[in-house]
Amino acid sequence: MTKEEVNGATEEEQHAQSKKALKKQQKEAEKAAKKAEKQAKLAAEQQSADEDDFAKDRYGLPAMVQSQEKLDRALVRVQDLTPEKADQLIWLRARVHTSRAKGKQCFLVLRQQQFNVQALVAVGDRASKQMVKFAANITKESIVDVEAVVRKVEQKIESCSQQDVELHIERIFVISQAEPRLPLQLEDAVRPDGEGEEEGRATVNQDTRLDNRVIDLRTTTSQAIFRLQSGVCQLFRDTLTKKGFVEIQTPKIISAASEGGANVFTVSYFKSSAYLAQSPQLYKQMCICADFDKVFCVGPVFRAEDSNTHRHLTEFVGLDIEMAFNYHYHEVIDSITDTMVQIFKGLRDNFQTEIQTVNKQFPSEPFKFLEPTLRLEYTEALAMLREAGVEMGDEDDLSTPNEKLLGRLVKEKYDTDFYVLDKYPLAVRPFYTMPDPNNPKYSNSYDMFMRGEEILSGAQRVHDAQLLTERALHHQIDLEKIKSYIDSFRYGAPPHGGGGIGLERVCMLYLGLHNVRQTSMFPRDPKRLTP
Amino acid sequence: MALRELASLEKYLGLKKPNKYSTQGDKKVPVLQNNNAPPLVGLVTIACHLVKEAKRSELLGCGAEARAVVQQWLEYRVTKLDGHAKEDIKTILKDLNLYLQDKVYLAGNQFTLADVLMYYGIHSIILDLAVQEKEQYMNVTRWFDHIQHHPGVRHHLPPVAVLRNRLYTSRHH
Repeated sequence: MTKEEVNGATEEEQHAQSKKALKKQQKEAEKAAKKAEKQAKLAAEQQSADEDDFAKDRYGLPAMVQSQEKLDRALVRVQDLTPEKADQLIWLRARVHTSRAKGKQCFLVLRQQQFNVQALVAVGDRASKQMVKFAANITKESIVDVEAVVRKVEQKIESCSQQDVELHIERIFVISQAEPRLPLQLEDAVRPDGEGEEEGRATVNQDTRLDNRVIDLRTTTSQAIFRLQSGVCQLFRDTLTKKGFVEIQTPKIISAASEGGANVFTVSYFKSSAYLAQSPQLYKQMCICADFDKVFCVGPVFRAEDSNTHRHLTEFVGLDIEMAFNYHYHEVIDSITDTMVQIFKGLRDNFQTEIQTVNKQFPSEPFKFLEPTLRLEYTEALAMLREAGVEMGDEDDLSTPNEKLLGRLVKEKYDTDFYVLDKYPLAVRPFYTMPDPNNPKYSNSYDMFMRGEEILSGAQRVHDAQLLTERALHHQIDLEKIKSYIDSFRYGAPPHGGGGIGLERVCMLYLGLHNVRQTSMFPRDPKRLTP
Repeated sequence: MALRELASLEKYLGLKKPNKYSTQGDKKVPVLQNNNAPPLVGLVTIACHLVKEAKRSELLGCGAEARAVVQQWLEYRVTKLDGHAKEDIKTILKDLNLYLQDKVYLAGNQFTLADVLMYYGIHSIILDLAVQEKEQYMNVTRWFDHIQHHPGVRHHLPPVAVLRNRLYTSRHH
């Protein structure tokens, strides 16, 4: 290579470089100009927005509701938005479920509990461009007040509960703004297991749900579950009140555990300790001795069992019944089973919407029951289990798998999801259980099952102070601690029996759910104390 | 285990004089001392010999194809079923269930030695199944129940309870 050539090359290079630099500069200048232009435009827009927005008073963030004024404004409920309301101008308060902007329009889905409706803001003589933009930017789950005209739609809106109408929004105000990032998406939380797996869509696991329970409770499924649960309580009360029962309230802080004391919570009580009631057992019975004849109570029950299963909670709501009977404790069984049947019927007849809603996410077969309720004796059940190849001793308690299997066998044979198992072995029941007069190995006690899982445990109680003392000694219970209980039977006590039902379990099993936490609003278990 | 099985097989075949067996090796492979011939070694070999002695050669399959299928299952019994690991159980039952979907016996419509030895071999697995699993492997259970009730087959083994009705539908629970 000659020197000249080298020089030429470098010169050329330099030339090229400067050319490049020039181009770069030019580009940058262009960019800056564009930016400035854009900014100017934006500013102008902003200005024009501020100046020309004719719909300025039709949207925005009003002052916090601090009860400044009593507006004479009727808010319509979403579920009442039907074609009859067509062409009316109405006010509505709802949550923004989703929003989707599309050019000059913005579609919103407004949700109120388990109902939702489609709404639309469109640029026109009522709404400005800025208003549409504002509507599109409202964060999900914010609460808004909306004034809108109800319009019939030609094609049903499949994704909403109100399918025949939509709302044409004229005003929209944000009453409470939600933070832009939600800990879980409501759509993910209602997706049935397995669905959307191909599209890689998420489902929310139970712990995340429970950690963010407030949001999870907004899902249609949760809304339906707890409306149905409220229905169970109401039907329970109504039925029993009609039967002449009296509702009682019992203390939950007690001085002695009713069944031995291994599985109760201890609380410090001034200078000594007390326990949280694991059942209102003793108090129900004392009420019977106090001539209340038929009582029930609805309230919290505590169990300090360290069991982390799908059906155990450390605090749950107990529905307890106790009643005096005339000659045979089957009078009590009949009374309880009839109450359960009334509840099942009430749910079937009045809560179909809720049942369907839950079924959408958690499919299950409809709950079946017989009238009168099937009553099997323990020995019959053992025979059925043995026929199916289960080896069990005569006086063994039913294990959970055997309980479930028995439920299946009963369903197959009698086509019922609800039955009573009578005459349990005395050895597996608490000390206050009345022994069977015909066979001292058995007792006048019973469990009730829904879909093969226990929901109620009950028995005829010993109402004779002497026999009660004997039984307590047999169970090695400190008589001193239950003195007041035993004493209540010394002054004339009628024969009586009863039982206690777990509200959460009844709801879970009625709906065919898999975990009792799904039917407990704020579940408590050995590992969960919040929220 | 194998010796009791052979004793039961002898009874099923109606052989008058019980043979004397010994075992060899860690795996206790059965050995039959023959008076005027070299000793026979192995479960399947001895079993086939007993069948011939009882003049019940139809138990080894009628026709070349059936004979091959019988031999195949006898082989399966000693190689796959015997000494199976716990995690193999599901695969064994699943495959067998699929195979038996359209068959009464392992070799089709004919009861053979394969059914007897497979029944003896699989008994301990079936005995441990829960009711729900028995229903899940319905075809295996049906075949098993059929064989255990086949006259003279069961002998040393306890009967396994089999339900005739389905308890578990396609839904959950």
